[in-house]
Amino acid sequence: MTEASAPAPEGRPPLRIRWALAFVVFAVFFAVNAWLQPSLLTARVLASNLTSFLPLVLVAIGQTYVVLAGDIDLSAGAIIALVNVSVVSLIEQAGGSGGAIALGLAAGIALGILCGLLNGLLVAVLRLQAIVTTFATSIVFGGIALWILPQAGGSVPQAYWRGYAGGLGPVKLTVILFLVALGTAILCSRMRWYRHLLAIGGNRLGAFQSGLAVTRQRVISYVLCGLFAALAALCLVGETASADPLLGPSFTLTSISAVVLGGTALAGGRGGVIGSILGALTLGLINNIVFFAKLPYVTQDLVKGLIILAALAGGILGARR
Amino acid sequence: MSLLVAENIRKAFGSTLALDGASLTVEPGQVHGLIGSNGCGKSTLCKIAAGSVGADEGRLRFDGREGFFGTPAAAAAAGIAVFYQELSLIPDLDVAENIALGHEPRRRGMVDGAAIHREGARLLARFGSAGGKGLTPGALVRDLSADQRQIAEICKILARAPKLVIFDEATSSLDGDQVQIFFEIVRALREAGTGIIFISHRMDELFAICDRITVMRDGRTEATLPVAGTDREAVLTLMVGSALATRHRDEAPPRPGAPVLEVAGLSNAVLRDVSFTLHEGEILGLGGLHGQGQSAVLRAIFGADPATGSVRLGGTSQDRRSPAAAIRAGLGYVSGDRGVNGVFLDRPILENMAIASLSKSRAAVFRPRAFVERVGEIVARLNLRFAGYDFPLRTLSGGNQQKVVIARWLATGPRVLLLDDPTKGIDVEAKADLYAIIDELAAEGVAILLHSSEDEELLTTAHRVLVFGSGRIRADLAGEALTPTALYRAAYEVSAA
Repeated sequence: MTEASAPAPEGRPPLRIRWALAFVVFAVFFAVNAWLQPSLLTARVLASNLTSFLPLVLVAIGQTYVVLAGDIDLSAGAIIALVNVSVVSLIEQAGGSGGAIALGLAAGIALGILCGLLNGLLVAVLRLQAIVTTFATSIVFGGIALWILPQAGGSVPQAYWRGYAGGLGPVKLTVILFLVALGTAILCSRMRWYRHLLAIGGNRLGAFQSGLAVTRQRVISYVLCGLFAALAALCLVGETASADPLLGPSFTLTSISAVVLGGTALAGGRGGVIGSILGALTLGLINNIVFFAKLPYVTQDLVKGLIILAALAGGILGARR
Repeated sequence: MSLLVAENIRKAFGSTLALDGASLTVEPGQVHGLIGSNGCGKSTLCKIAAGSVGADEGRLRFDGREGFFGTPAAAAAAGIAVFYQELSLIPDLDVAENIALGHEPRRRGMVDGAAIHREGARLLARFGSAGGKGLTPGALVRDLSADQRQIAEICKILARAPKLVIFDEATSSLDGDQVQIFFEIVRALREAGTGIIFISHRMDELFAICDRITVMRDGRTEATLPVAGTDREAVLTLMVGSALATRHRDEAPPRPGAPVLEVAGLSNAVLRDVSFTLHEGEILGLGGLHGQGQSAVLRAIFGADPATGSVRLGGTSQDRRSPAAAIRAGLGYVSGDRGVNGVFLDRPILENMAIASLSKSRAAVFRPRAFVERVGEIVARLNLRFAGYDFPLRTLSGGNQQKVVIARWLATGPRVLLLDDPTKGIDVEAKADLYAIIDELAAEGVAILLHSSEDEELLTTAHRVLVFGSGRIRADLAGEALTPTALYRAAYEVSAA
């Protein structure tokens, strides 16, 4: 079962935890990681892990909304690349002051939203096929990124990456960002539009006949995906302090893996954001495990692939039980 | 003032005229039955009223507002709710969430789950225990049975407190008790002044609940009758009309041949214990309302769908049924849904013709020239013309595509042909050619099982007709007993007067 159900007391909705299985998988990998790397359980290491997983967590959240509505966004990684190089270039050109940083952040977010809007209009309004369309826009976005910055480079002012590495008192900023993202996602999952998203992904004709605004909701899900990809790009800038047009693309398929690991059906209508967050964290832990298992460098990818395959198979077989 | 007035509605889908001169008037607090044979336009008329299909001509007035609705959302906002035959439920939401879909109550901006479930429980309670085990507000729709889904869809309509409800085949999966509760709900709606359009193929239900009945035929409204003072025969006569008053084929099969295909106790998700025997040279028609098991029987015999029960071909039992085994045993299957079942539009005509022969013969090498020589005669016989064997099938008209499929099977020298609504969507001339060849084949001893959605085709072609209802054979009509009225009577479960 991908979701644990408890019988409802009279007049109360049943408790349905759609991410129960994803949590079990996460817990297993967390335990393995802690065994291989005992220092994992210290606050400092936990926080630094969270920092490096944060970009993927954000993209996975955005991707979930698209997948739940029965679509897919293959351009999420390219949006990251485009926002990443645009923000760094813009801040440099604007002089690197505090105002320039604020302008860069705002422009990055707006750019992500714009990319998502374009995807949404093409797929939901013009009714082009989601896979092919977002694959094509990913080439466009990636192409623009390369045009802006042909190779990795550039740098952001100290204030940007110092600020990103800083925090509020003892709590690191990245931890706060993670908690805010988690809280927002939970809040969103109790909103009406989220319910409608599930309905649209589950039975598009039925949702249309029930009077839901199918086209608008699908556009919104793409916009959200663009927004979260942009946020991920801003985090990456904070982490690397520079720009790289080739940093983004790998995030596309990794985010989809995180969504699927989290128990969301690629056909849409089933799953949720919390599962995807757990899926993204699990993928991060798998990276750690492969590293701390001290495998020779050349076999790391192979082992990582096999572990992901096993985790997915475990989830699917567990769901069939 | 009437609640709904639809006047002289006309609607064409491509070159097919679905509605022409369809009219319907429903008063508040009236239960208005709508009846007519397959494809007479009932559902289209309702979809136009509900804004999910546009009309070409005509006039609509609902609740004092003039004009057609552009979207289902607009019609819903005006107070029209529809029970869709194919249902509009979301499988991965639970029953209460489905009932509230689109108008979820909110508290502080968040969906109020508790209120949704209270409302769901209140509406489901109207069905009491008749809904059966597992029908709770918190149950996921994907886990429900067919009747429970229909109950959930009915509750979804009640939750919207509409002014007009269209129930399109809302009782098709319900059992007797559930239908009685449904009728109580309909009566309560009528008391409250709601207008109700009730579409059903069950004549008894129409007479039990309706105030008036409108009969449609061939896309137009024939008559509207008050139920009091009308009997079933009168409705039946209006449905049948005068066009089908005579049967065109009156000769019996030339000589009753030996049994070729014996089917016994065939059952699966659709079929219930279907048994019959098909003889050499016999054209056996499969009739009845749409989707009552006619296609399912053909697909099960051909091994395309799983089924239990026995199929014997020429005395040999067909135990491990699959299309490959069926082809080798001498069966051929022609579907009306060419795009889905069995043609390769972008492949050459030659390949489309040869494919069944290829799976029948076990020869390792295919020799196109020899094959063309062999099928040349069949092609001429079918009156089939094309520019060349290597042209893609897509270049042919629908009728000629279907002839290519027939040629494919004739090339295998079949003993039994299974025809699944083979004339769907093809032109009149090609239709006539097809039926001529069916007659000829039967005269040569090929046994033919023919499902047609048009009664007239069955009446003019078949020697005998099995009428299907809910996956069972309801009637076996031949000779004198095979009349248009008898077909309707069996399909609509009207006992003989």
